[in-house]
Amino acid sequence: MKRLNLLLALALVFSMSMVNLSCGGGPKKVVDETTPFDTTSAIPEDVATEEEPEAPPEIIQESQFATVYFDFDKSNLRADSKSGLDSNYDLLMQFPDVMVKIEGHCDERGTVEYNLSLGEKRATSCMDYLVGLGIDASRISTISYGKEKPVDAGHSEAAWDKNRRCEFKIISQ
Amino acid sequence: MRFRKILAAAISLVLISATFAFAQREGVRNVYFDTLKIGYVEPTPIGVDEMKYVGNEYIDKNDSSLMRYVTGIVKRDIDFYADFDLVPIDSFFIKTYEILELDLRGWKRLGADYVLKLEAEFPGRRNMRVYWKLFYTFNNRRIDKGRIEVHRDEWRHMAHRISNEIVRTLTGEKGIFLTKVAYVKKIGKTKEIAIADYDGANERLLTSNGSINLSPTFSPNGKEIFFTSYLEKDPKLFKVNIASGRLTKLTDFPGLAAAPSVSPNGKRLACVLSKDGNSEIYVLDMKGRVKRRLTHNRSIDTAPSWSPNGKYITFTSDRSGRPQVYMMDSDGRRQRRLTYEGKYNDSPSWSTRGDRVIFVSRSKRGRFDIASIDTSGIDYHIMTEVGMNENPHFSPDGKHLVFSSTRLGKPDIFTMDVTGRHQRRLTRTGNCTNPVWGPID
Repeated sequence: MKRLNLLLALALVFSMSMVNLSCGGGPKKVVDETTPFDTTSAIPEDVATEEEPEAPPEIIQESQFATVYFDFDKSNLRADSKSGLDSNYDLLMQFPDVMVKIEGHCDERGTVEYNLSLGEKRATSCMDYLVGLGIDASRISTISYGKEKPVDAGHSEAAWDKNRRCEFKIISQ
Repeated sequence: MRFRKILAAAISLVLISATFAFAQREGVRNVYFDTLKIGYVEPTPIGVDEMKYVGNEYIDKNDSSLMRYVTGIVKRDIDFYADFDLVPIDSFFIKTYEILELDLRGWKRLGADYVLKLEAEFPGRRNMRVYWKLFYTFNNRRIDKGRIEVHRDEWRHMAHRISNEIVRTLTGEKGIFLTKVAYVKKIGKTKEIAIADYDGANERLLTSNGSINLSPTFSPNGKEIFFTSYLEKDPKLFKVNIASGRLTKLTDFPGLAAAPSVSPNGKRLACVLSKDGNSEIYVLDMKGRVKRRLTHNRSIDTAPSWSPNGKYITFTSDRSGRPQVYMMDSDGRRQRRLTYEGKYNDSPSWSTRGDRVIFVSRSKRGRFDIASIDTSGIDYHIMTEVGMNENPHFSPDGKHLVFSSTRLGKPDIFTMDVTGRHQRRLTRTGNCTNPVWGPID
């Protein structure tokens, strides 16, 4: 019974938003903005933006950049790393004044010195990929923190997976 | 001409063996890393008597505690030393044999080959003077003696000096009891360079800049420490004067500058720079100017370490696909791989005599262990079996090692002798890594 109600409500919201989109002819901006998000959460957001149409955002948040993950002792890009970098490429194209620093990080295994070099190599692979796609190399710099700044202080495989990463930091925009 | 050369060589050989025979007492153990395989010799058992007051004046509680402290430090030193074992005073044994006073015969029954007797007085109340006497229990002869006087605040220094004298008398070697150990200490989100006595006492911070400071290494004269710091955002090489705390920046290249190692003559600095695209090993002068690039490839080359004679550099490279230990001439020629066992070998450094390289190896149990190998790439040998162990470095006497380990949970600094015995935990705060052992003054 409960489930049926929920389904009904969802259907209602969905049809309403469709109506809104088609009649209001919402600015193209809105559609653009939804693409990075998954579609299920996009629906209520559309409703919200529709109520108060916003000017196109001029500032991007650091959190909009995807974090890129790596395999143990590797600096080559996995398929999921490349898709993360592709979305970061879109952001960099969309905001041509933004300068970023790519931070390379490693998990706690291995020595400080080796991991410094590995983190550097990871950051460089991200940079090379983006430059290969056509981003001006002068907009990107790299830094390695090796294993010095884990996001997860644990000692499990799960923690290590999260720590082998490249983060994008905005230097200026 | 040739004959004269041979003669000179023969004479020097005789002289060397003569000094050895004179310096090292027969029957006293004197192990090095390279002599381990010759056969196991038990460490020499030494008893240390409680210190006696021999002055004429009345002494107070402070004086008697000082005497106990000094004796305690000497006992700890003896107990730590690779070639010695401290003979414990076994009260059950003493009762059984009705030993009333622990004289030399009593010590001999407890198993001591040598006994150290200490006597103190306090000249002018300000100073402390200790007379030490070393006895051989097999003939009850005194084999050496000495007197040391210091300001009473310097009692710890004096105790280590006494221990150094015992080492010199028995093994003919220089003792390491006044050496320092430097390491990285994590404080909140920052990492600072710390320095302490070889036994972990007198710890102090050499940096407190609130940044990340890594990979400390001593200059050969022991007066400076070189390290990597994020003080100016990007990792750069710095040095700090141990006495004054004065900080000097050495490099300002784009990218990474890390893993410094000073050449034995103190004139060159090997390190890793990524200024040319990826991590390569370079040799700089002491002002941070590039003198030579040693490696040229797309792989990671890092962790250079000069051999004690300055002719070779050992380093880590993943040019084979995984990090492995390599060696090259110090001009970059003849790069050759040393390790083939273990999937991950890193952080190499030299034995004090330069005959072996020690490193961290991901061993069969899947953890990181301290291992060693011959400079010709044979005789891979694992030395630890518990916890994650990292950054092994030899003591300047070649008889001991310092390393970091998580064997008790969080990372701390440990020392042990080359046989794996006499293990000691130096730090107890669970936040210390990257140790390195300073030279003998």
